[in-house]
Amino acid sequence: MKWWAFVIASEMRKILAFRFDFWVTFIGQSFIQIIISISLWKSIFESRESQEMMGYSLESIVLYYLIVPVGSKMLTGENIGFLSREIYDGSFNRYLLYPISFFQYKTLTYLTYSCFYGLQLVFIFLSYHILSGGIQTEQLINLLAGFVFFFMASVTYSQLALGIELISLWADNIWSLMVMTRFLCFFFGGAYIPVDFFPQFMKDILVFTPFPYLINLPIKVTMGSARMEDLFSGTIALLVWTILFHLGARLLWKKGQHHYSGVGI
Amino acid sequence: MIKINSLTKNYTTYIKEPGLKGSFKSLFIRRKKIKEALKSVSLEISQGEIVGLIGANGAGKTTLIKILAGIVFPSSGEVSVMGFNPWERNNQYRKCMSLIMGQKAQVWWDLPALDTFLLLKEIYEIDEKLYKENLEFLSETLMIKDQLKTQVRKLSLGERMKIELMASLLHRPKVIFLDEPTIGLDISAQKAVREFIKSYQSEFKPITILTSHYMEDIKELCPRIVIMKEGGFVYDGPLSNIQKMMGDEKCLTVTTKDSTFKLTIPRLELARKTSEIFQNHDVIDLNIHDPSIENIIESIMKYGLHST
Repeated sequence: MKWWAFVIASEMRKILAFRFDFWVTFIGQSFIQIIISISLWKSIFESRESQEMMGYSLESIVLYYLIVPVGSKMLTGENIGFLSREIYDGSFNRYLLYPISFFQYKTLTYLTYSCFYGLQLVFIFLSYHILSGGIQTEQLINLLAGFVFFFMASVTYSQLALGIELISLWADNIWSLMVMTRFLCFFFGGAYIPVDFFPQFMKDILVFTPFPYLINLPIKVTMGSARMEDLFSGTIALLVWTILFHLGARLLWKKGQHHYSGVGI
Repeated sequence: MIKINSLTKNYTTYIKEPGLKGSFKSLFIRRKKIKEALKSVSLEISQGEIVGLIGANGAGKTTLIKILAGIVFPSSGEVSVMGFNPWERNNQYRKCMSLIMGQKAQVWWDLPALDTFLLLKEIYEIDEKLYKENLEFLSETLMIKDQLKTQVRKLSLGERMKIELMASLLHRPKVIFLDEPTIGLDISAQKAVREFIKSYQSEFKPITILTSHYMEDIKELCPRIVIMKEGGFVYDGPLSNIQKMMGDEKCLTVTTKDSTFKLTIPRLELARKTSEIFQNHDVIDLNIHDPSIENIIESIMKYGLHST
């Protein structure tokens, strides 16, 4: 087995090492999300006495907000601070000692977490449809396509996160910067409010940013409401932003490694 | 072979005044301070040698090791380890080198050691036969065979250090940097680690640089020592020469009614000083002996070689 396969396997073992946390995250959170989303949106729709909200039916908005939390987790992969924390406490040393690229290593560990949350996405999606009366082949295809798009978005976000976290080579604590980045991605990505609810001028601007491709597009793909041209333009946009973020992170690393002192707690 | 030529490393730190006022002030104004961790040091170490790097805290030992391991960039100077420039981080170099830091865990805490070893086997591309051989040799010598399937975080400090040693030596490195490998260990664990290093050194003949604050480590393992003081080398030579160099000095331990004190004085002044002590103090006991290696090194670390 190649080293990268072992890295993925090791990260999976780490996730599975804490079985209580695993079951709470996987089953507990999933059902809480399903219950909250259904009851919240049902009462909103009942109070409005309307069958639709900005083009979303009750079923589609419930599904949207069911996918958001787990989709966001899939996007952001490993916990926030996955690299800056290691730079701060000096455990980053290990990646400089091993005869492998630390970029590849960290991206792999990040994406392993994304895949784990991806499994949770599959679980929630299937549970919701089964509880609502059954699942059709078309929905399974949408789920598969959505998984692929969320994974592509995770790759893009991982390179953005790598770059942001590498700033800790200059500044010891970049927590607020990371939180701000995450907030911007979530807000403009449609995690809090679907991008369809934004004013038109904002939607026109957002097309030129990576944000709508990170959350809004993968959710629409999962729900089966994305158009073919959205899939095409989204793929190109994610690819371009991934390359740009990766180059930015490499540049930061090239400059920042001279500041690394390997000290820590 | 390791060749170090005029190696210098400066760290930039920022000074913050204490108190709330200082904290507010530091939001706007920061005072920079340059710390010279290494001051133009030069050194050569041959294959198979084991060198003890000694110095007080902050003398620059760990910085030197980090530069040699390629973790930290130097400010100036040249370094060649087995023909490689360490901070270019060539994979071939990284495959023949290892760094073990007693104060910093490099294995994954949440995994059993065997899982980490399997990952390292792939990372270092260790041949299956060699991996099995090394695993057997290391776990036998370190007497840790029963703990390999336990999560590392659940092991004792001594056991964790042994796992760190195993993880770092699985790929059978030709250059080993050991930074305080026995720190925090109890006496029997210290002894076990020392015995292991000794047997590994005689079996595989790597270049080894060892830093330690425990003189037992140095005395047992390092025929050659380098003493560092404030970023520079004050002594580089055989450990056995240290006592010879200080042969014209004697140590006196004087016990009076009120206290006990120690003095190091030139041999030629021994008679005069002793008589002075008897005249000025109410002496109960007086013991004259040669200075120990610990005392000599402590003195060199404090005052340098010439002013001891």
